[in-house]
Amino acid sequence: MWKEIGDRERGILRPKSFTTRIKSNRIRTLQISNHKDIVSPHRASINSLQVDLTEGRYLLSGAADASAAVYDVQRATEYEGGGLIAKHKCLFVVDKQHEHGHKYAISSAIWYPVDTGLFITGSHDHHINVWDTNTTQVVMNFKMPGKVYRTAMSSLATSHMLIAAGTEDVQVRLCDIASGAFSHTLSGHRDGVMTVEWSTSSEWVLVTGGCDGAIRFWDIRRAGCFLVLDQSHSQLGRRPTIPEHSATNKALTSKSLSSGQNLNAKPRAQQRKLANGNGTKQSPVGKMPAKGSLRQRLHPGMLSSLDRATAHYGAVTGLKATEDGMYLLSAGSDSRLRLWDVASGCNTLVNFETVRLQGSKPIQLATSQDSALVFVPCMTAVKAFDVWSGNTSQTFRGHYEYVNSCWFSSQEQELYTGGNDKQILVWSPSRLIADEVDEGPAQDRDNWSD
Amino acid sequence: MDKTSEEASSKGKKRQREQQPTETQTNQLHHQILSLEDNLSFTDTLVALRMMRAQFPRIDKVSIQPFVLRSQLYSSVKDRTQVDRELESLRREKVVRIFKLNTGQDDHAIMFLDDYLNQMENVVKRFEEKKEGDLDVFKWFRTHVINSKLEPSIEHQELYTLLSLGGMVKDGHISLLINGGLLTRQLIDPNMYWFAIPNIGSVLKGLSQGRKEVLSSLNRRRYKEMMLASMEKKRLRFSPLDMRFHLRDLIGSGHLKTVQTSTGLLVRVSKD
Repeated sequence: MWKEIGDRERGILRPKSFTTRIKSNRIRTLQISNHKDIVSPHRASINSLQVDLTEGRYLLSGAADASAAVYDVQRATEYEGGGLIAKHKCLFVVDKQHEHGHKYAISSAIWYPVDTGLFITGSHDHHINVWDTNTTQVVMNFKMPGKVYRTAMSSLATSHMLIAAGTEDVQVRLCDIASGAFSHTLSGHRDGVMTVEWSTSSEWVLVTGGCDGAIRFWDIRRAGCFLVLDQSHSQLGRRPTIPEHSATNKALTSKSLSSGQNLNAKPRAQQRKLANGNGTKQSPVGKMPAKGSLRQRLHPGMLSSLDRATAHYGAVTGLKATEDGMYLLSAGSDSRLRLWDVASGCNTLVNFETVRLQGSKPIQLATSQDSALVFVPCMTAVKAFDVWSGNTSQTFRGHYEYVNSCWFSSQEQELYTGGNDKQILVWSPSRLIADEVDEGPAQDRDNWSD
Repeated sequence: MDKTSEEASSKGKKRQREQQPTETQTNQLHHQILSLEDNLSFTDTLVALRMMRAQFPRIDKVSIQPFVLRSQLYSSVKDRTQVDRELESLRREKVVRIFKLNTGQDDHAIMFLDDYLNQMENVVKRFEEKKEGDLDVFKWFRTHVINSKLEPSIEHQELYTLLSLGGMVKDGHISLLINGGLLTRQLIDPNMYWFAIPNIGSVLKGLSQGRKEVLSSLNRRRYKEMMLASMEKKRLRFSPLDMRFHLRDLIGSGHLKTVQTSTGLLVRVSKD
C-alpha cells in the first residue's frame, strides 16, 4: 500500500490504475458491515434497490408491501454502540396509506437518472407512478395492461425521457415523462417481459428479457428488434480485435478464436460451408426460413418476431450490461448465467457455477466498477463471480431468505442487498475497530465534570 | 500433473497422467478395480470424455452406446469454462454430439459421433426386422441432417428441407423418425424437435431414480456425509447405472461436494 502511494507520487503508477488497485483490494475484503446498518421500514420482501446515479448518496428501495423508502447512505441518522455503528433510518416512506400510493407490491423503484428530484415506481397493481421526491407526491401515472415487472430509464439519454416498462403483457411499452403519454410499444416477445435494461453504450438501444427465454435488442427509433440472442450461437472467448471474417457473412457465425487457447482453426471454414445449408438460421435480421406466404404479410422490420431463438431454457430473470456496453450478462430461471458479446450476438461460453437461481421473480444483478466482478443473488446467498473466467470469487451469506436484488456502489465499494427477509444488508470492506473510534462522534465522556 | 498427486491419496496408487489414454484398453477389464477417488480429475476434456466412456457401465437389458453427462465433465475438469469451450469446439469438429435430455434442469448427454451412428444402425436393423414402412428416411437423416445440423434441436421446416435433399418426404417419414426415437417434439414449441438418443428411455428413468436414491441415502445419515470409498461400494436398487456414474453427475451439478480429509475424500450433501 505504501509502495503504491510512493509509486503514484513519483508518477510510476498512473492515477487510474492506482484507484483501480485500491478499489479492487477493498472489494476483495467485502464482508457484512460491522459499522453500518440500514433500518428498513418495510414489512414485506424487498424487490428493488437502487442508489442514485448522480451523487451516489441516496438508496431507494421498493418492497412487496407497496412501500418505497429512501435512505441516505453517506450520513447516518443516529449512532449506536458507543458511536461505532451508524444506523441509517429512512428519510421518508411512501406506502399504501398514501393517497396515490400503490395498492399491491412494488416490483421496481428507480431514480430519475438526471437528478434525485423524481423517482419512478412500477407495481403489480398495473401502474407506474412518477413521484416528486421533495413533496412525495405523485406527479404522473401510467396505466399498464398487466403487472409491471421492471421499469428502466436510460442514464445516457439526452434527447428522450422514456421509461421502458416490462409487464406480463407481451409488449414492451415506452412511457414519456415529458408528454405523459405512451410513445410506442415494442412487440416481438411471446410471453411476459421480466427484465428491461437500457444499453450502456447507446441511448437508443433497449435490451429486454422475456419469460419465453428470449433476449431482444431494440433500437427504439425503428420497428422490431435488431438482435435476438441465441444460446446455440457461441464463440469461444472474446472476439479478436480485428475481425477475420469478411462482411459477406456478416451475421452470427461464431468467430472461433479465443485469446489464449490453442484450438483448431479449421472449424471456421467448415462452419461457413455448413452455414449455407441452413444459412437463413444464422443471420439476425430477416431470419426467414422459407415461410413463403407469411413473408409478404410482415413488415421487414417485424420479421424478427418470427425468430424463436432462446437465450435460456426458462425465463430470463435478470440482465446486466457491462459498463463499456460490449458485454451483457443474463440470468435465467434455468439457473444459468450467461455472458454475451453484444456486437456479435454470441454466447461467450463462460461458465458461472450456479447451482440454483430463483426463477419466479426478476432478480437484480450488480457489477463492480470496470465490470470485473458480478454479484448475483443465488437463493439465500449472494455470489461474486469473476466475469471473464466464471470463477466464484466470494460468497456472501447473511440473508435468512431468498435475496432479490443487489446494488454495488462504486464510490464507497459497498454492496447493498435486499431479500425476502425484509432486510437490506450492507457489505463493506473490512475496517479495523481502531480506525472507527477516531471517526465516530466523541461519545466518550468521563463521569466527572470538567 | 498436480491433479494426480491429490488423487493418489490413501490408496497409494500413483498413476501417471500420460499413461491414462493408453490404458483405456486395460481399463475395460479392470474398471471395477479403479477407484473413483484416483481418477476424479482430469486436465483435458477429450481425455475425460474417453475415460468416462470407457468406464460406462454395462447394462444387460438395453443395448445402448456409452454417453457422458455434461455434469460429469464439470466434476472432472476443474475449469468449467474450459470444458464448455472445448466441448463446443469438439462439437463443431463433429467428434461428439450433444443431446438435451428431459430429466430436468439443463441436462445434456454427450456421445461420440461414431457411437451415435452405431446406435442409429441398431434402430434401423430393428425396423428392418419388423419390415415397417419406408426405411430410406433413415439414410437421408444420416447423410443430410446429422452431418449438417450440429445443434441439439431442429425446426420442422429445416428438417423438411434437409430431408428433401434425399428424396420426397412425407409426414409418415417424420413419424417414423419419431417412432425410432431419433427425434422428439418439444413441449414448448410444436414446430421444433430435439434430437434424441434412441432406446434411452429406461436409462433416463434409472438416471433420475438413481439420483434420488443416492441423495436420499446421504440425507438419511446424521451428518449427511460419507467417505467416497465406502459410497462407491454400495449397490443401487433402482438404477442400472453404477454408483460412480451417479456420483460424478451429482458432484458436477452441485448437489454433492467433496471434501479432502486425512483419510480420503468425503462426500457431503451441499446446502445451497
